[in-house]
Amino acid sequence: MMGVVLRKELLELRRSPVLLLSMASLPLVVVSVPVVLLAWLVRAAPEQALASIRDVYGAPAASTAAVAVAEMVATKWLSMFLILPIFLPILVAAQSIGGERERRTLEPLLATPVSTLSIVLGKSIAAVVPALAITWIAAVLFCAGIDAATGRFLLPDGTWIFGTLVLSPLLALFGNATAVVVSSRVVDPRAAQNLAATTVLPLVALLVLQLAGRLSLGPRFYFAFAAGIAVADAALVALAIRLFDRERLLTKWR
Amino acid sequence: MAAIEAHGLGKSFGGRSACRDVSFAVERGEVFGFLGPNGAGKTTTLRMLAGLFAPDTGTARVAGCEIGPGRPGGPQLRGKVGLLTESPGFYDRLTARENLVYFARLQGAREPERKSDALLERFALRDRAGSPFAELSRGMKQKLAIARALVHDPEVILLDEPTVGLDPEATREVRNLVADLAATEATIVLCTHHLEEVERLCSRAAFIAGRLVAVHEIRGGNLLRIELAAPFQPDAVRPLCHSLRISGTTLVIEPRAEVADIVAALVHSGARIEAVSPHQDRLEDAWLDLLAEARAA
Repeated sequence: MMGVVLRKELLELRRSPVLLLSMASLPLVVVSVPVVLLAWLVRAAPEQALASIRDVYGAPAASTAAVAVAEMVATKWLSMFLILPIFLPILVAAQSIGGERERRTLEPLLATPVSTLSIVLGKSIAAVVPALAITWIAAVLFCAGIDAATGRFLLPDGTWIFGTLVLSPLLALFGNATAVVVSSRVVDPRAAQNLAATTVLPLVALLVLQLAGRLSLGPRFYFAFAAGIAVADAALVALAIRLFDRERLLTKWR
Repeated sequence: MAAIEAHGLGKSFGGRSACRDVSFAVERGEVFGFLGPNGAGKTTTLRMLAGLFAPDTGTARVAGCEIGPGRPGGPQLRGKVGLLTESPGFYDRLTARENLVYFARLQGAREPERKSDALLERFALRDRAGSPFAELSRGMKQKLAIARALVHDPEVILLDEPTVGLDPEATREVRNLVADLAATEATIVLCTHHLEEVERLCSRAAFIAGRLVAVHEIRGGNLLRIELAAPFQPDAVRPLCHSLRISGTTLVIEPRAEVADIVAALVHSGARIEAVSPHQDRLEDAWLDLLAEARAA
């Protein structure tokens, strides 16, 4: 039954060009802006400006100023990439329960013998898989773009590989489960989307602190972060299934 | 064994009673009406029978599945019931056929594609099977929703307001569909506030106004209407009647004896008769009488 729900969700997603476009637009910006900026910096920025950037981020003196800036972008920008797997599933998952309610398809769905677990899993996989695929394609393009702009093999390094292959799926689950939980309690899918999207704010703060040179996050942080998110995922999935009570969904959502 | 047996079903939301003391039985193959004003608890009762809610009080057996407080019936019950919800509730971007096949699969229907195609054909939707649901007319949407309620060959069919919001032509089409269903000896509970639908399609109807007020048998024309010159207590003729209803100076009688004997008994006991005529029992009259009684109580 989970496969039936999943196939239907993916079919609906394929036929929603606006939603697909909105899912593609953020990764496009996240990839193209730093790569283009770096390409320009490496080729055209005054050496003095590059040196001052290197001083702010404390890059090793041995490397050239251009390479130091490229390394800075490569390492600090991972936080931005981690926003993608949280944010993208929210665009889909916020529609999961609230959207069904808004389209009045929730009651016919709940009147079938399909289990709560199948509905939640089917909808979750349909939100997480496209989001992860987009994140991974964007990561490949970003790494290739940075390497091409600098003419050196900078990315992916170990932290990036861990971030995209391990942390991204965990964060995608987190974003999805948050959206399902919020969506099952809020009547308007747009309100659910906005509320769930606030979960990216801590990552945005991390990014800003890193770019401001106030914080430098290393592998140890990302390991601990992954462990914390895994625990949060388990709790949120359990909560999502508990909140998915047929009677509650049909009557107690105001 | 009855297809549905309900005993004292009741449900409250946030301390406010939606319905209470709902007891009735529906025989297999019977078309049973649920009548009541908006907010009377009809939909809540239907949702309990469909396994969406557990009742707060009372118990019911639907298609052999038990429901009661804390026991909403589960997947087994939901697989045996076909529910037509108040709103069609399909996915706009999916075609009519994709929608129907999707729900057929969720319902565990055997050969979901073949079954869906057969229903699209039967409901004259074959030509629009490939159209997105959003592009169908209101009547087509409602027919598709009825097809969904039947796609898994349910033992009990619960129809919640099947003609609400439809234009006259679509209303007639949907009513004919329900009549066709009734002719197949399906067990149907028809929830509506259109009395003529119940009169045409049902053998009995339950009147609900927060609680179950009465179960009324829909009769043919075997009734007698006697107009009197003045109000009168016709105790002398009661033994001659299966039932007797008094409304002012009008008696509506289901005779047990010959009409001449009833008239003679009335005249003999002092009543002055102005007219005697056959009577078609109008559900509307019974409904308004029962509603007035319920409000007075």
